[in-house]
Amino acid sequence: MGFGFFVGVFGVLILSHATYSTVQYRGLLKIMEEEFSGPPINVMFELLLGFVLCIWAALTVPGKFLSIHPHSEENSIVSLPANLDFMIFNHRGKAFPVGTDLKLKH
Amino acid sequence: MVTKTEETQLDRLENQVDNGGGGAWEYLCLIRKLKVRRSEKVLKHGLSILNDPKKRSSLGSEEWTLYEQVAIAAMDCQSLDVSKDCIRVLQKRFPESKRVGRLEAMLLEAKGSWAEAEKAYSSLLEDNPLDQVVLKRKVAIAKAQGDISGAIDCLNKYLETFMADHDAWRDLAEIYVSLQMYKQAAFCYEELILSQPTVPLYHLAYADVLYTLGGLENLQAAKKYYASTIDLTEGKNTRALLGICLCSSAIGQLAKGRIKDDKESSELQPLAVAALEKDYKQRAPEKLSLLTTALKSLKVSS
Repeated sequence: MGFGFFVGVFGVLILSHATYSTVQYRGLLKIMEEEFSGPPINVMFELLLGFVLCIWAALTVPGKFLSIHPHSEENSIVSLPANLDFMIFNHRGKAFPVGTDLKLKH
Repeated sequence: MVTKTEETQLDRLENQVDNGGGGAWEYLCLIRKLKVRRSEKVLKHGLSILNDPKKRSSLGSEEWTLYEQVAIAAMDCQSLDVSKDCIRVLQKRFPESKRVGRLEAMLLEAKGSWAEAEKAYSSLLEDNPLDQVVLKRKVAIAKAQGDISGAIDCLNKYLETFMADHDAWRDLAEIYVSLQMYKQAAFCYEELILSQPTVPLYHLAYADVLYTLGGLENLQAAKKYYASTIDLTEGKNTRALLGICLCSSAIGQLAKGRIKDDKESSELQPLAVAALEKDYKQRAPEKLSLLTTALKSLKVSS
């Protein structure tokens, strides 16, 4: 968690640095009176790196992926809940009461 | 729905709580969430929390939920005194509450005084004629008194209003199966499959009902539903695999070669046999011979 979070923050930092570099580059171009056609190659590389780091952090930090397949081990339904809304008390509990010594003490 | 992971978690917690390892509150929460009926344990561990003032106050407002849970569990165990005490505490905290009124009526039910319970529920219904829980309790009263046809009428009326209540559909289906009214039960299971198509247990129950009804068309449909159960459970359901074998054998006897089975369904049954044999070999090798003789008697195993 800590490591992944750190990588994510680092990625965001790189991205913002790339933004800053682009803005500076445009300012420079304005002074030199040239047309802006795209950021320089090293900024592009920086962008890509930041993007990859951010994606990696976003996929790992929030938690593990859960299976959505109905037949996967954790999703397989083994039993239905007891229909408690319809439960009736006619059963052997009547003949064999348990916990006669149990008491609410207050 | 109780999934495999939840079941293992429940078993682990139950073991831990029974051996005095703590975690009773988590256990009770899980029981509430999964809606399983472990009244004896709820009564024992719930009371031990309620009787310990320190533990009780640490629950905060959840305390009242626990009182309710323990009260119902106590009714189920026929410890009516405990139940009455719990309800009294709740009554003091929430006077005029409908939910507590329902508990009181349930206590009358547990005592077996049906007429009074019925009267209590009726007065609750006067204030709120669409109270689902109370309407369901009325069905339960009819069932508890042995008045099955009354229960069916009640449930049908309830389902006209609350068509999306799958618990009620399931209960109705189970009642119909117990009365051997399979056609009606099949209808209920169809509703259930429509509302929750990914639950393999409904497919399985529907296939069982269709197989019991018999007849070539029903058997073929049953086979398809067993197949869909296998699809949803990835072949881990032994009952569905056996169902395929039984259906194939019954269809074979009925059709006597009159109908050429399409290729796909004739492939299905040897595959089911192979899967069954593999499963038995892995999990109970000493019972494999029983399986092979049973399958041979069905004339499905070559």
